[in-house]
Amino acid sequence: MIGKIVKTSVAVLMGASVAYAGTFNTQAEKDRQALVKYMEKKFSDPAKNKQFFPYASAEDFKSLRKGVKFEEFRLGSYAYDKQGRSQYEEINEMPPYEDAIDAGEELYNKTKGIKQCFPDPAIAGEYPKFDEKKGQVVTLSVAINDCLKANGQKPWKLTKGKLADLEAYFAHMSKEAGKKVNITIPSKAAAAAYERGKKNYYSQRGYLKLSCATCHVQGAGNRVRREVLSPLLGHTTHFPVYRLKWQGLGTLERRIKGCEKNQGENPHKPGSQWMSEMLYFMAYMSNGLPVDGPDIRR
Amino acid sequence: MQGMKLWIAASAVVGLLSVSASAGNADLVKQGEKIFNTKKIGNCLACHDANGKNIDNPGNLGPKLQGLSAWPEQALYDKVYDPYTTNPISAMPPFGKNGVLSDAQIKAVVAYLKTIK
Ligand code: HEC
Ligand code: HEC
Repeated sequence: MIGKIVKTSVAVLMGASVAYAGTFNTQAEKDRQALVKYMEKKFSDPAKNKQFFPYASAEDFKSLRKGVKFEEFRLGSYAYDKQGRSQYEEINEMPPYEDAIDAGEELYNKTKGIKQCFPDPAIAGEYPKFDEKKGQVVTLSVAINDCLKANGQKPWKLTKGKLADLEAYFAHMSKEAGKKVNITIPSKAAAAAYERGKKNYYSQRGYLKLSCATCHVQGAGNRVRREVLSPLLGHTTHFPVYRLKWQGLGTLERRIKGCEKNQGENPHKPGSQWMSEMLYFMAYMSNGLPVDGPDIRR
Repeated sequence: MQGMKLWIAASAVVGLLSVSASAGNADLVKQGEKIFNTKKIGNCLACHDANGKNIDNPGNLGPKLQGLSAWPEQALYDKVYDPYTTNPISAMPPFGKNGVLSDAQIKAVVAYLKTIK
């Protein structure tokens, strides 16, 4: 009898503490589920869901796949763009980023302090994190540079080069370990940072007055010129990427810089509060998807 | 000598001006077409195909343009100047309001749009 009471009260207490821990991400979780639902519906059968593609022709629908599954959204536009998908699969038979993973492993082992700062390299899905002591969002790129500085070294460029190589290694190790994106919102301050990041993502900016969402939420699956637009869902899972256009590897920060320029915006500085908070929002939206970097893109 | 050069330059400018003023519609349409199809200027093809025109890889974030020859010039001008006046949630950028295109450039674009059947 007593045993039973104890058990139930423990269960109640556990329930209470789970609910409590959950409160800070309630809104974020609602947002994420709504996004997943939207994308799954839109790409279950694009031709049947014409309301999401108001200006697409019958010809356009022929080039879009149906029945795209949750896990496939990590592939960006290749999740549904038939032609892009087959080119992607062809290039991936000889992935051009393998040297970068090796270079990253060497940097991991030889750069003073890095191994101590990141004893487990399979952490690509854990960032950005909200650092309670600093009271701010820390992206993996910023965490790496903070570590270098703490060890008396010069920080690295946040867009390419050594930092991208090291991140390729982290992503690779996370993928090998079967890790998923796992962003947490542990406090009220963290939830506020998430909300600011969301606002950054949805505001119309630059002289063209386009928001990221215009192209990557409503616009996903439509085309800007010949480019099929990728979805917000899955946007952070596969970086860094080797881009044919760059003939090299670049970080997520580097990719976004290009989009901000296309918006007619002066790009925000990688590592700035504005950018880190937006990345926090973007990464949360990909929670539950497998870490899949590094990858290739056109 | 110096004065001579200036005089030639000045007359060249005047010449240009008078050409474009008298060039009439065909030139204006050509200018507009160029703005429509050039990435660094109007880049309209990023989002629009145009009926009866040969557009190189148009996007489909916006509708395929058709029947615009029937639109009043002012309506076309307003659309390009600031699409939010008629559609507050338009995904189309306000080219005039935000100074991406000048008044003269929008007029040229409108001349081109008027040729879209
Ligand atoms: C005018 C349309 C447009 C806007 C606005 C825009 N982008 Fe993009 N974006 C593109 C195109 C085109 C590509 C290349 C095709 C693709 O993968 O979507 C791209 C690619 C990306 C990628 C790479 C996806 C991948 O899997 O490789 C990311 C990440 C991205 N954009 C983020 C953003 C963010 C963040 C913003 C806002 C700051 C933004 N974009 C605004 C058009 C846009
Ligand atoms: C980023 C995408 C984008 C770009 C770039 C763009 N448009 Fe649009 N345009 C749209 C969308 C979306 C609509 C439909 C919503 C609306 O009417 O506002 C539209 C509507 C229009 C219409 C009305 C068509 C109709 O049948 O109702 C005209 C005319 C037009 N655009 C002309 C232009 C011109 C000219 C340019 C370049 C100077 C341009 N657009 C650039 C997205 C775009």
